[in-house]
Amino acid sequence: MNIQIGSASKGILLATGVLLISACATPLMAPEGADTARTKLVALQSEAQLANLAPVEIRDAATAVAAAEEPRKDTAYARHLVLVADHKVDIARARAQSRLYQDQRQALSEQSERARLEARTMEADRARLDARSARADAESARMGADAARQDMLALQRQIDELNARETDHGLVVTLGDLLFATGSAELTGGAGPNLNKLANFLQEYPDRTVLIEGHTDSVGSESSNFLLSQRRADSVKAYLVRQGVSADRLATSGLGQGSPVAGNDTATGRQQNRRVEVVISNVASSARSN
Amino acid sequence: MFRPVQAIAKRGIGGAPLLVAAAVAVVSLGACATVPPPPTQALQAAESAITNAEQSRVADYASAELTQSREKLRAARTAVQNQQMREAEFLAIESRVHAELAYAQAEEIKAKAVNDEMQRSLDTLRSEMNRSRGAPQ
Repeated sequence: MNIQIGSASKGILLATGVLLISACATPLMAPEGADTARTKLVALQSEAQLANLAPVEIRDAATAVAAAEEPRKDTAYARHLVLVADHKVDIARARAQSRLYQDQRQALSEQSERARLEARTMEADRARLDARSARADAESARMGADAARQDMLALQRQIDELNARETDHGLVVTLGDLLFATGSAELTGGAGPNLNKLANFLQEYPDRTVLIEGHTDSVGSESSNFLLSQRRADSVKAYLVRQGVSADRLATSGLGQGSPVAGNDTATGRQQNRRVEVVISNVASSARSN
Repeated sequence: MFRPVQAIAKRGIGGAPLLVAAAVAVVSLGACATVPPPPTQALQAAESAITNAEQSRVADYASAELTQSREKLRAARTAVQNQQMREAEFLAIESRVHAELAYAQAEEIKAKAVNDEMQRSLDTLRSEMNRSRGAPQ
């Protein structure tokens, strides 16, 4: 139609003008969806904590929203601008939110560092306690074993010291006649150390009971020898009681000349026969009972 | 294509009406006939936004936006082949914002996941500590 330039130039001009004017005159409204973008933008801007974290993105989004809000006849262009604006608002929010998470992470990692440190300290304390108690356990076990061994050794040592013989019916300690004056049941001064060892031993092993047997040589009458042997056994018992050994544990018997250990025909033999034998019972638990 | 016509029409209104009308007509026709250059820059920007999103393992988090982005880039290329350059430019720009949103959302989700994980392990640590302290939880 534009090609017919010849006659009706006025008409054409008019027509063109009408076309142009009509383009401008159509009542135009803000494109659909622009309001949604605006609402989202305003919401984001009002969240100060987020808004401060993405100022550039938010400014960008605001520009896009303003452009999208312009009424346009070209609906395709308007739709395009709305989509872009809407996405830019979403992008701004996502960026701001990511940065907020990053900021929070700082605090979180400080907290967990503190907590971890605390946990480590606790663990170390606990480990130390555990180690201490384990050590104590080991120590006490070792001490127990040691003690048992020590007890055995101590017993052995004391047995050795007492000059005791181990026999079926117990330990036998022979106290020679040197402890007594001839014909007397009185202990001599020399008796002390030997009998003290015996007393200590009995105090150390309170389960053990003792039979104190007096023996004589064949010199003198048998009855007097019985009496003498009994008295000597009794003096040993009395001495031990004085040393703190309970009398209940101490039995005595005077055996006279009936159980010689050597011949009575020599002085040496007779000397060996004049003796007090202390028979210490064997008990299952030789250890001190505390 | 819309804007040049308007501009020239406005400028011409002062002088000889006939000439102007003719010019407008010619320009309008010419505008329809000549093909504007393809929106190379917008297409490249969309491509690089998609690459960026892909590298950020967006597919795991914000795949809907990324899918739309790819579809629009494809549509934009088709529009270029069809010599619909204006539409191609819109599509390219939209492809880019879809990809950028996909990327931003993926980053957000990842950041949140990290924080949640940290919070969880912190909570666990604390409750363990409380337990071993024998305190009520």
